[in-house]
Amino acid sequence: MQAARRSFDIWSASVFTIALILFAPVISLIALSFGDSDGLWAHLFDTVLARYILTTLALMVGVSVVTLVFGVTTAWIVAAFKFRFSRVLDMIILLPIACPAYLVAYAYTDFFEYAGPVQGMLRNLFGWQSPRDYYFPEIRSLGGAVFVLSSVLYPYVYLLARTAFRQIPASFYEVSSIYDRNAFWTISLPLARPAIVAGLALVGMEVVSDFGTVEFFSLQTLTLGIFNVWIGMNNITAAAQIAIFTFIFIIFLLFTELYSRSQKRFNDTSSRQRNQQSKLLTGAPALVCICLCLVPVLFGFFIPTGILLWNVLQSIDVLVFADVFEVFQNTLLVSCLGAGIIMLISVLVACTSQMQGGKILRLAGNLSATGYAFPGTMLAIGVLVCVGLFDRLMVAVMSPFGVFHLSGTLVVLLFAYLVRFQAVGYGAVVSGLTKISPNVILCSRTLGMNAQNTMRRVTVPLIRNSIIAGGVLAFVDIMKELPMTLLLRPFDFETLATYSYQYAHDELMEQASLPALLIVLVGLIPVIFLNRMLRNTS
Amino acid sequence: MRYPKLLCFLTAFLVSTASVVSATELNIYSHRQPFLINPFLEAFTEKTGIKTNVVYSTKGLAQRLKAEGENSPADVILTVDIGRLYIYQDMQLLAPIVSDKMKANIPAHLRSADNTWFGLSKRSRIIVTAKDRVEVGAIKDIEDLADPRWAGKICVRPGSHVYNRALLASIIAAHGLEKAEAWATGLVANLARRPQGNDRAQVKAIYEGQCDIAIINNYYFGKLKYAEDTNQQKWAQALNLVFPNQGADGRGAHVNISGGGVALHSKNKAAAVQLLEFLTDAEAQTLYSEINFEYPANPKVPHTAELQSWGRFVEDQLPILRIAELSRDAQKIIDRVGW
Repeated sequence: MQAARRSFDIWSASVFTIALILFAPVISLIALSFGDSDGLWAHLFDTVLARYILTTLALMVGVSVVTLVFGVTTAWIVAAFKFRFSRVLDMIILLPIACPAYLVAYAYTDFFEYAGPVQGMLRNLFGWQSPRDYYFPEIRSLGGAVFVLSSVLYPYVYLLARTAFRQIPASFYEVSSIYDRNAFWTISLPLARPAIVAGLALVGMEVVSDFGTVEFFSLQTLTLGIFNVWIGMNNITAAAQIAIFTFIFIIFLLFTELYSRSQKRFNDTSSRQRNQQSKLLTGAPALVCICLCLVPVLFGFFIPTGILLWNVLQSIDVLVFADVFEVFQNTLLVSCLGAGIIMLISVLVACTSQMQGGKILRLAGNLSATGYAFPGTMLAIGVLVCVGLFDRLMVAVMSPFGVFHLSGTLVVLLFAYLVRFQAVGYGAVVSGLTKISPNVILCSRTLGMNAQNTMRRVTVPLIRNSIIAGGVLAFVDIMKELPMTLLLRPFDFETLATYSYQYAHDELMEQASLPALLIVLVGLIPVIFLNRMLRNTS
Repeated sequence: MRYPKLLCFLTAFLVSTASVVSATELNIYSHRQPFLINPFLEAFTEKTGIKTNVVYSTKGLAQRLKAEGENSPADVILTVDIGRLYIYQDMQLLAPIVSDKMKANIPAHLRSADNTWFGLSKRSRIIVTAKDRVEVGAIKDIEDLADPRWAGKICVRPGSHVYNRALLASIIAAHGLEKAEAWATGLVANLARRPQGNDRAQVKAIYEGQCDIAIINNYYFGKLKYAEDTNQQKWAQALNLVFPNQGADGRGAHVNISGGGVALHSKNKAAAVQLLEFLTDAEAQTLYSEINFEYPANPKVPHTAELQSWGRFVEDQLPILRIAELSRDAQKIIDRVGW
């Protein structure tokens, strides 16, 4: 007992240290926000603040509703029915998760805007001369952004809802059919609610911190406002204040997510319970199901990647494949390293804080995962401040022994990925842990294992799938990441996202398309792998 | 730890990505895309043997430089827009440059009084009109765009973009805050669509007939005229160029600059100055026009034939720093009128 007590202390001390290091960039931003905002708030309040907040809320509500419809419908169909192609569809529905929202926005704009091929074709067909002759929905609008963001974000809801639907015991459905109630509304939806809310919270955070799409569509959200204040008014203090304000709002969402996850503990299935068998569908109903499932994938994956592919084929002679290949290797390198580090830290923090810790340790664990809530560029500035301080400390303490600087190395970038995407890995591990019965752990301890050995030999193997799932999501997220990579990378270091951006920024879609397409294609491999794994376990 | 060797290897690998400070390499923070500045850097390396390394980002490089402080590996800053240069100056991140050559090459109104930054190229914000829908001479001054006559005809990117903010700052400098706000209100009332896209997208919209008039930076015209995509060449052919405010008592067309400076804590200041000197010399100055259709900042360098063919024009002689100082007022007006 004595030994166990001491090792517990070492482990929790390391969790506190890690949490502090991961939270440090956020602290830097908070410190930054205490400067002089130069009376800008009065101006913002009088002019644009209401617009920023309303646009952000409208975007969030819109995207939430659409992802809910897309995600829950597809998840329910896949979980409740079995039909021709249902196993393939099950995987295909996930594909949009590999598409960065801003690239989908670029692709759709080229395609749907007034000067794009769709409207051009319609004008040729009907002989219209100017925009006054007909109505066509504007893609660069709030509605367009809802469409684009929902199309790529619904898999978060789908993934979690599908798992929840599948875990509902068959006996519940039998009871509902005895009372002649609708199984979906009375059983599935209420029981899957924590999972669905968790998915929506992730979607909400993605929406609030999105910059690429809203900038491209010129939507005045809070995140765009941060940049107008920072760059336009040369006032980083007021910008940091808006970011903190947004942060608090997102933290609220994050805790909704963690709270609803913690509820899941209660709908665990024991080994004796059967799960509901999928109902076999044929003919017209099966066809309807297939069509319903294909709609969101079409919007989120097939059309945008089709446009990118078309661009690549159009301009095949312009492209320099050798360049792209080197960039491609860089991307794989940082994504693998980043995802590996994230999972290592996530397992350490989550296992220690959830299995052994009290409230304070859990809070520290949760705080270490809040970086997700900031727009990438703002978080990157927080990271820069921390690394700068570290380097100065290094010079002060170490100069007699020889000094190296972190500034400008890959370490900075990997640290930034860790801070931002820790939430992804941590969330996955925590949700895995909630499914382990505490009895298993206690049993191992009773049999004489100490805490570390229990973690290594019992806990980690039991949550192996959650760890891989979190790692895959982190990998894909890092591959897609743009603003932090752009600002923090070492000299002459390009990833597919930054390489694509230098062209896309200038609206040179032809040159931007090949790296963009590669991001999507490479992202697909782990997603397919992940899906196969999840299916084998469920 | 079970894999000490692996850990050592990884650490060594990560730290080795740090740029090695040596006399023959220059580290550059750039707000310009690599594909635009690489030709200059290649020419410089060929001439001097000094290798260059670049980080490109549109935002946040000044914050990066500040956070890195005296440990920063950066030597040279290259940016577009006076507003960004001013931020570096304001945050005291630049070292004064001692170079008679650069002072001789760049006129006083295009460099800072303390010689911390120098303009390297000029770009003018111009008006383009649809050849077949707007008669030549109907629009002469930037002020004309607020005329209700053009209601529903104008396309422009969002006001918060640096180019438009700088343009509005130049109008504040010329007419004062009130008149500038009235102009911005009039402009917004005349817009054919919600401000969106970049300058290229505005030209596209003219070609497709969505609007008749747009405000763009002059070099976009050249980029489109010589685009590899033949469609984009057609967009350029649909345009007339108007250099605004050229009348006898006109103040001239608004110009902005791209520029550069030396990082305060650079360990290679001599080489850094060498690069900037190279960029102000005739060879590189001509390259700015040839690659990106910008005007040379060095008045001794003649305009290329291509640029001359677009028309000669008088520039607004406002000291460029004034634009940056008025930037915040401009942004406030933009927020108020909803541009």
